[in-house]
Amino acid sequence: MVEFQVLDWLWVGLFVLIMVVSGVLFYRLGKRSESDFFLAGRGLPWWLPASSVYATHTATDTPMWVTGIIYRYGFAGIWYTFFSAWCAISAFVSTRIFRRSLAYTQAEWNTLRFGGLGAEMLRGWISGWQVFMNMFILGWVGIAMGKICQYLFGWEPWLGLIIFSSICAIYVLAAGYWGVIMADFQQGVVAFAVILIVSFWGIMAAGGPSGIVTKLGAMGETWRINPFAFTGWFSGDFPFAWFFTMMVIALLGGFGMGTSIDWYPEAQRIQSARTVRDASYSIWWGTALVLIRNSVWAIAIIAFFVLFPGIQNAADYELGWFRLGFDFLPVGMVGFFFAAIIAIHISTISTHLNLGAMYFTRDLYLHYFKPKASEKELVWIGRLATFVLLLGSFFYGLMMEEITSWLIFALWLMAAGIWLPNILQVVWWRFNAWGYLSSWIANLGFSWLVVWILPHFGIIPAMPDYQQFWLLMLLGALVYIPITFMTKPENMDHLVKYYVMSRPVGWWGPVRREADQRGLLKKVIEIGEGEIK
Amino acid sequence: MKLIKRHWKPGEADDWTREDWITIIISSIAYILLTIGIGLSLLLQTRGFIILGAGILLTILMHWIIDPKLKSISTDYEARQKEYLIELEKTTRWEDLNG
Repeated sequence: MVEFQVLDWLWVGLFVLIMVVSGVLFYRLGKRSESDFFLAGRGLPWWLPASSVYATHTATDTPMWVTGIIYRYGFAGIWYTFFSAWCAISAFVSTRIFRRSLAYTQAEWNTLRFGGLGAEMLRGWISGWQVFMNMFILGWVGIAMGKICQYLFGWEPWLGLIIFSSICAIYVLAAGYWGVIMADFQQGVVAFAVILIVSFWGIMAAGGPSGIVTKLGAMGETWRINPFAFTGWFSGDFPFAWFFTMMVIALLGGFGMGTSIDWYPEAQRIQSARTVRDASYSIWWGTALVLIRNSVWAIAIIAFFVLFPGIQNAADYELGWFRLGFDFLPVGMVGFFFAAIIAIHISTISTHLNLGAMYFTRDLYLHYFKPKASEKELVWIGRLATFVLLLGSFFYGLMMEEITSWLIFALWLMAAGIWLPNILQVVWWRFNAWGYLSSWIANLGFSWLVVWILPHFGIIPAMPDYQQFWLLMLLGALVYIPITFMTKPENMDHLVKYYVMSRPVGWWGPVRREADQRGLLKKVIEIGEGEIK
Repeated sequence: MKLIKRHWKPGEADDWTREDWITIIISSIAYILLTIGIGLSLLLQTRGFIILGAGILLTILMHWIIDPKLKSISTDYEARQKEYLIELEKTTRWEDLNG
């Protein structure tokens, strides 16, 4: 437990007040329309969604996770966090295509890209999955806060979960995405500043940069500062083959949509940017900040290793970065640190409350239940969905211990076998809704077989995760490629409409020629050059 | 013909060109260099400062290459956005089918 002084509590109270007020202040803007409640009216300059990308992906469980892998693998463990780098390509490819589609959500985009019954089935599936996933993430992140409060104050975990998620819900219910984005900006600034302060403090406590390198040398642990310290090409638990697979998943994934679980909150930020250019820069710079933050954390954790080497229990060393703050910061600053942890926490909570509510309101309520709903009604449905998500997150958070392994498996399903279909839907005109749907279904079956069933009965050996990825990709392709060719292509009128609007990259030759023959592409150029008045 | 085109006519920038491909390669390398460079620089390693410097230079180069094209795409597209938004609402609200 940590002793808080009056000054510490003052910091906490002040920060919570500022965070909530900065969100609630935008109540009048948030209630104007559905577009305001979920996309801040599509008018944000790039640096606001960029700060939100950064703040959202800095959650309470993130420093624990990063600490765990860096303490175990040294600086080379940084590549575990490199999955965020899908934005390197996405910022200039799929972000541009998605921004031009104007779809509120990925589920809505499916009905623009595909047509007919298949597209509607996809929209229903993706939106239902996303409502569930956001509730699950809220529970996951919420209970992490509960555990931190237990470590700090000895509270029961449910107390920390409910108190801070409820505080956050005040401004999300009032101002929707306007509240989220404005609070995220100041939370992002606070969080980044405190991450720098605590990390530098920890580095100095370990003897400073030179002292850390010298001490690692004396301990025979200099490999810990080598970013390419792998256990072999294919051998050991951290081989080069794993690194190569991560680079492929992370970087080439940027050609697709949904190749990373982070795509879904990013898609909302992309659409809230005022132009295509703002959307691209928001994604690129928000992710650059995430990568820089990971790197700062990594060195602070190496400092923690120098201070406390040889901890065997993962649950103990995963709290390493928090310990640097709470054990080494002076009195008065500890409250400042805890206030930053609250900022880190509620910036993630606010995003997922609003995002889950958007999928429910836009894709389920408006599209399937009440297409004639007024703007005012949609804002209220958005608020109701936010409240239900909050209650659902309490439920998930409290039963998280029992279901975590199942849900991590569900996340793995999202990543492995449908990684390539998520790219094909963007880059290949012939890939249709049935091919994409079949890839989801095939992946569900193959994942069970490859990860659990077949190794359990000794039919195939238990494989490391990077080998599972390649096998699942191959097996899935054996299903969805034949199904794509056995079913009709999407309607050409639908594809031409989508092509002219989004101008996708890749193999779109037949659609482009059709659009050109109809004069749709030529017209764009001629209007631009002022030849047609 | 210049290697990098920096003046775009509206409509012209909609196509995927050499500038896009160069940008995504530079962008990926910049992320890798920034990630490693920051960490090693915090440990005051000389190679860390060199890598970080290279990452910053590549980031500047990337913006120099792609910014004119993004500006052109944005200007051209935003002029048509209102019309596209009306179409989007019609699709979601089933107005094409129900009138």
